[in-house]
Amino acid sequence: MKAAPARKNPERVPWIDWMVLPTVGVLAVVIGYPVIYTLVLSTTKYNMLDMVPPRYIGGGNYEHLISDPIFWTSLRNTVVYTFGSVIVSSLLGLALALLTESLTGWRFRSVRALLLTPWAVPFVVVAFLFRYMYLQNGGVINAVLLDVGLIDKPVLWLNDSALALPAIMAANIWAMMPFFFLLLSAALAAIPNEVIESARIDKAGTWSMVFHIKLPFLKSALFISSLLMIISNFNDFAKIWAMTQGGPGYSTTTLVIYVYRLAFENFDFGYASAIGVVWLVLLLVFALVYLRAIRMNP
Amino acid sequence: MNTKATNAPSQGVPAVGSGISVGRIVKYAAIALALFWSLAPVYWMLATSFKTELEATRINPTLIPVEPTLANYIGLGGQSLPFFAFFFNSVISCLATAIIAVIIATPAAYSLSRARFRLRGPISYSVLLFRMLPLVVMLAPLYLLLLNARLLDSLAGLVVGFTTFGLPFAVWMMKSFIDAVPIEVEEAARIDGYPRWQILLRVVTPLILPGLLTTGTFVFMEAWNNLIYPITFMTTMDKQTLPAALVLTFTGQFKTDWGGMMAASTVTTVPLMIAFFAVQRSMVRGLTSGAVAGA
Repeated sequence: MKAAPARKNPERVPWIDWMVLPTVGVLAVVIGYPVIYTLVLSTTKYNMLDMVPPRYIGGGNYEHLISDPIFWTSLRNTVVYTFGSVIVSSLLGLALALLTESLTGWRFRSVRALLLTPWAVPFVVVAFLFRYMYLQNGGVINAVLLDVGLIDKPVLWLNDSALALPAIMAANIWAMMPFFFLLLSAALAAIPNEVIESARIDKAGTWSMVFHIKLPFLKSALFISSLLMIISNFNDFAKIWAMTQGGPGYSTTTLVIYVYRLAFENFDFGYASAIGVVWLVLLLVFALVYLRAIRMNP
Repeated sequence: MNTKATNAPSQGVPAVGSGISVGRIVKYAAIALALFWSLAPVYWMLATSFKTELEATRINPTLIPVEPTLANYIGLGGQSLPFFAFFFNSVISCLATAIIAVIIATPAAYSLSRARFRLRGPISYSVLLFRMLPLVVMLAPLYLLLLNARLLDSLAGLVVGFTTFGLPFAVWMMKSFIDAVPIEVEEAARIDGYPRWQILLRVVTPLILPGLLTTGTFVFMEAWNNLIYPITFMTTMDKQTLPAALVLTFTGQFKTDWGGMMAASTVTTVPLMIAFFAVQRSMVRGLTSGAVAGA
């Protein structure tokens, strides 16, 4: 080893190793410490309003959690919201990427720029914009649907416990679809020309071209982009909070909303932390399974 | 350039050959529909922001403002709410987060990309994992941490909060940009006898400059979008960020004033839009190289 160092590593410069330290230090303080503290808090009874220090209660919070129907409702809402939004917007993004593929030059650039616009709208603005469009009286969506004759009286989109979650998801899909469109168009453009040409020489039809040639090339881009969006949707607070604050009832309460309410409306830090820990474990298991799946289908 | 010019027509041949086919019409109709779906809400925000309060809530909405007015925008500057302060707070805290995250992350990303020390693997994985952590899990401890550090209700405290997602993201993205720089470039400079720190400053830095800008813009956008930290950590209204102020004032000030609300929304959107389109092109590269590196 000493006599013949690897070609790519001709000299070891120790201070290059140490350049990682500032990041490690900052992350240890702003993430490491809070995560460990959450683990500790989750085993205690601690309400900020009680003015007494945290008291150790072991698994008490976790037992409470299992019999807490709101926890299960918010878990279900989180899953529906996240996967529903990601599946629909990735399929729409994929379809658009395929549709715009044959456009070239300025046409492609301008269509792409216009289709990307929703991405540059802040989440809170997305929420208020859709809230305004969903209004019962004066909301443009109800007005148009009434005009066309699809409904005969205004729909209370955000005040109906069955419609509120899908209505927020529609806004979410609107905001998220450009991300998939952009990544998938880039991945499409990266398919080697020879592959497409040889498939064309073999007289592959449009559909078999898409399913047998293009989709396999897009698999890894689809995997990664949907993983990123699943994680960011698990954590989505702004859109739901600004549109319904989790209501009506608990119909749009996701885990983020529930934990936020427990911690900063009831100041029940102990129980909120326990839910946080369970959620953390679920997310990590999910991420590991997902990453393994990617490694198996490179 | 040349390959593109010869490829483009050949790809279009089957469609052109069949003239105005049904497939083509369906395709352009679908693209038109997608454009409408993407742009109509944005148009609606802009149009409403120029409507009077009365017109904005009419039962039969008007497509184009009947009596366009700038009152909603002027109202933002003059009234009881310090909108300029919100704007300023957002810009300062997000800009500070972006700059700090990129400055701390870039050396780490270089080290993780080039050095070969034992903890490299575990640290890289932890950074990726930290990126996935739900923010709300850290909310209570961070709140207590900032409380004890007397940083609650200050922009500095907010920047600390934003760093929890900005820094792991910046490390991850900068690493993929640095991975894309061929190591031979550095080796050539080393053979020429340049010391390592000069190679970093004069050779590597210019090459990753687009990456730095893209990463910084991304962090800026994510911080601009963040709502949960400002509404939790800031208690004084004057110190709020723009998105949080929108949410907090909506219940009072803007209850029925949708024109004003949409003007405020437009003002909140513009900086993000500028940032977004400024880096749009290199963003594609950053994201896809990130996707490849992640896989």
